[in-house]
Amino acid sequence: MIRSCLYILLIGGFVIGAGTLMPPLVGTATAITAEEMLADPLLETRARNLSQKLRCLVCQNQSIDDSDADLAKDLRREVRAQLVQGKTDEAILSDLRAKYGDFVLLAPPLAKNTMALWLAPIGFLLLGIGITLGIPRRATVPAPSPISHADRAQIEALKQNHKTASKPDQP
Amino acid sequence: MSRFRPTFFIPLIAFLGLAIIGGLALQGTLSGSRNPNQLPSVLIGKPAPDVPLPLLQDVQAELALDAYRGQPLLVNFFASWCAPCRAEAPALEHLSNQISIIGIAYKDRPQDTQKFLKQYGNPFVAIGRDDDGRAGMAWGVYGVPETYLIDPSGQIKWRHAGPLTRHVITSQLMQKLAEMQ
Repeated sequence: MIRSCLYILLIGGFVIGAGTLMPPLVGTATAITAEEMLADPLLETRARNLSQKLRCLVCQNQSIDDSDADLAKDLRREVRAQLVQGKTDEAILSDLRAKYGDFVLLAPPLAKNTMALWLAPIGFLLLGIGITLGIPRRATVPAPSPISHADRAQIEALKQNHKTASKPDQP
Repeated sequence: MSRFRPTFFIPLIAFLGLAIIGGLALQGTLSGSRNPNQLPSVLIGKPAPDVPLPLLQDVQAELALDAYRGQPLLVNFFASWCAPCRAEAPALEHLSNQISIIGIAYKDRPQDTQKFLKQYGNPFVAIGRDDDGRAGMAWGVYGVPETYLIDPSGQIKWRHAGPLTRHVITSQLMQKLAEMQ
């Protein structure tokens, strides 16, 4: 019981750790072109970070950093223009949220209406652990009792019978 | 009944639950009351963005939405390169008899816009030029055509992304307009 619990925690921890700590293996390609980039590397890094958090509203499952869509390009340009104006990251994100809504953020903010979304995975994990621990381990199957002498004699007799019966058919 | 363990019914109940949810969603989609591709506009109930735009006919002059206060107003983002805009042109033409419509040419070349208006008709009382799409961004436009209904006080009351069809006009726009009057 304790061991299975530990396994669950270990695997869960590994999955979460791998997801958050490892650099993404896919999706490192970006749609950004050289002329879009800012000269200041610090600002450009912030622009890239912000772009990865913002949804392209045309393709809807890509960030504006990944997307080749026209609107994504416009949004990248807007983010950079606002960065050059000296706006903070938070100010830029909240400006775009005011125009396009929470949907523009790839990670939905934790709010009353997104509570179920954020808490459901934890709930399901707990449910899974509960079910795993709640189901009684299947009782070990008892070893079959040895064949009695009488049964063995009967089997031998049947075997003999079968042999003699099938003999005439053979060439 | 006692032949079945209670767990026997779990998959059946789960399936029925999913079937009911799916059925309701499908019914909503078919009746047009629910469109999963429509992003709700966050600007509903807010004042229309005030982004200065040059007029198509006269670059020196500015499109002023304030001038149309006191009456309901439609603002239509369109472009000559947008096929659904051609499709909704007759609907806009028809609507222009009932309500003033402002056109905003979204990321279009002025000469192309002019050609488009000549070919498909000009239902607009004024046309602004949003050459780089920045005004569209302020309005939360994510594709053309998009149409906004502004009330007499200058607040956005309704937004439709995609072409205005007869169904959208009768089931949504006309209702909103009636609420205003």
